[in-house]
Amino acid sequence: MKRPAPSTVRWLILAALLVFWELFPRTGIIPELFLPALSKVVVVLARDWHEYASELAVTLYEVFFAMLIACGCGILAGALVGGIALLRNLLLPVFSSLYAVPIVILYPIFTAWFGIGSQSKIIFAGVYGFFPVMLSTAAGIRTIDEQLLLAARSMGATVPQQIMRVIIPASIPTVLTGLRLGGALTIIGVVVSEMLTSSAGIGYLVTRYRTILDSPHVFGAIVMILLLSIMFDVLARAVERRTAVWQTAGRKQREVEEPIGRAAPAPV
Amino acid sequence: MKPNLTVVHEAPARPAIEVAGLNHTYAGREGDVPALSDISLTVSAGRFVVLVGPSGCGKTSLLMMMAGLRHQTSGKLDVQGQPMAAPDPDRVGVVFQEASLFPWLSALDNIAFPLALRGTPKAEQHARSTEMLNLVGLTGFGARYPHELSGGMKQRVSIARGLVQDPPVLLMDEPFAALDEQTRMTMGHELLRIWSQTSKTVVFVTHSLTEAVYLADEVLVMSARPGRIIDRITVNLPRPRTYEMMGTETFAKLRDRIWQQIRKGE
Repeated sequence: MKRPAPSTVRWLILAALLVFWELFPRTGIIPELFLPALSKVVVVLARDWHEYASELAVTLYEVFFAMLIACGCGILAGALVGGIALLRNLLLPVFSSLYAVPIVILYPIFTAWFGIGSQSKIIFAGVYGFFPVMLSTAAGIRTIDEQLLLAARSMGATVPQQIMRVIIPASIPTVLTGLRLGGALTIIGVVVSEMLTSSAGIGYLVTRYRTILDSPHVFGAIVMILLLSIMFDVLARAVERRTAVWQTAGRKQREVEEPIGRAAPAPV
Repeated sequence: MKPNLTVVHEAPARPAIEVAGLNHTYAGREGDVPALSDISLTVSAGRFVVLVGPSGCGKTSLLMMMAGLRHQTSGKLDVQGQPMAAPDPDRVGVVFQEASLFPWLSALDNIAFPLALRGTPKAEQHARSTEMLNLVGLTGFGARYPHELSGGMKQRVSIARGLVQDPPVLLMDEPFAALDEQTRMTMGHELLRIWSQTSKTVVFVTHSLTEAVYLADEVLVMSARPGRIIDRITVNLPRPRTYEMMGTETFAKLRDRIWQQIRKGE
């Protein structure tokens, strides 16, 4: 028998999980309070879509601005730290250690400073997502092949030309990986902060319905968050693939298109 | 065909490269390290000169100085009658050991890169780089990216890029060192064909003695650090060179002489 393709297997596993999600609570193996059946969650989502949509809008708004902060500041700081040796030696160890700190402990302070509205979420999630973006940008710039810069200089490239035509394109793949990680963290940051202290957003819905033991509504919110993160990841990967074709393409060699009737042998 | 260069021309009024009393030291951990010592040499226009010497003797440094990418501590170094204060693609093209092609650009765009830097009109860029692509035998491969090319093809692109601005001098820093033996031989032969069609002055650094004799009009042998020029060997094999010449006694003798000189200089 032919082995099924890995992607087929992945879809089968997902389908099986969904089936179990429906069957286990229905047959009473798992109490409905802990895991409501899939169909109930779907019904809740369909009935109260208005509430979910308006809270999702709040979350999306916060995620958008948090990502703007994380990416903008992260790329800028990463470029400076990666490109300037003095800053790198001074700051890189500090930033690397800060990355390991659970920044969520700062959130109560942020609410004191910026209130419990969207502002504190945006700033908290922005800071949360900043680190991977900044660190990978710095790494991307630091690990540029010196030979490429030397070659560009030999061709008379000025410093701005070296930046625009060599450093930026050469660091795009690493920076994009950082943006994907940082973007995922900002989503986490927004949702977590909404769950902790707030009055709006998908994270807030999770907390509110949990306190009144309304499991279908809690799971409805969880499904929304899942979909949001998956969509972001798919989007980020697509951008990564498009912008860095030459990097990933190394593994899937293009077919050699020999012109028909070529007399000379293929050059070595 | 190229005129037989073993017939010694009277040197033209201005040599392509003129180095006189050049010294170079760099700051090491324990004070200044002399890297090049009292280098003097002249490369006439249109000659193919090969630099050989033990590892670390400073041949690459000397080449980088000719390219304007490094600066000597003292002494004179003129290319086309002018000192090299900074890289000048109008005078000098450089081909590096690693092909150092930009992976995000197609072969054609890589070749056009020096033209793009100076804002040459797109149509002209395309025409020039296509011409170079054809010259190096890569017709039809312009749309490929570097990762889709073999090692030899990458070096062909790299040579095309070095020639695209039509500089009178081409400097090559062990361009075929990373290639396998067979490809290396083919590439050497190809380089001679390209050279004979473009009449450039070439300074070529290599570790391979066979390559040195096969390619050169003249081989300059350098000593171990601090690098000095210890011998200057004229290769009086006729051109065009053929693979069969490698089996001749003249070839073996020349190769042997270079080898003896390198050993003496170590």
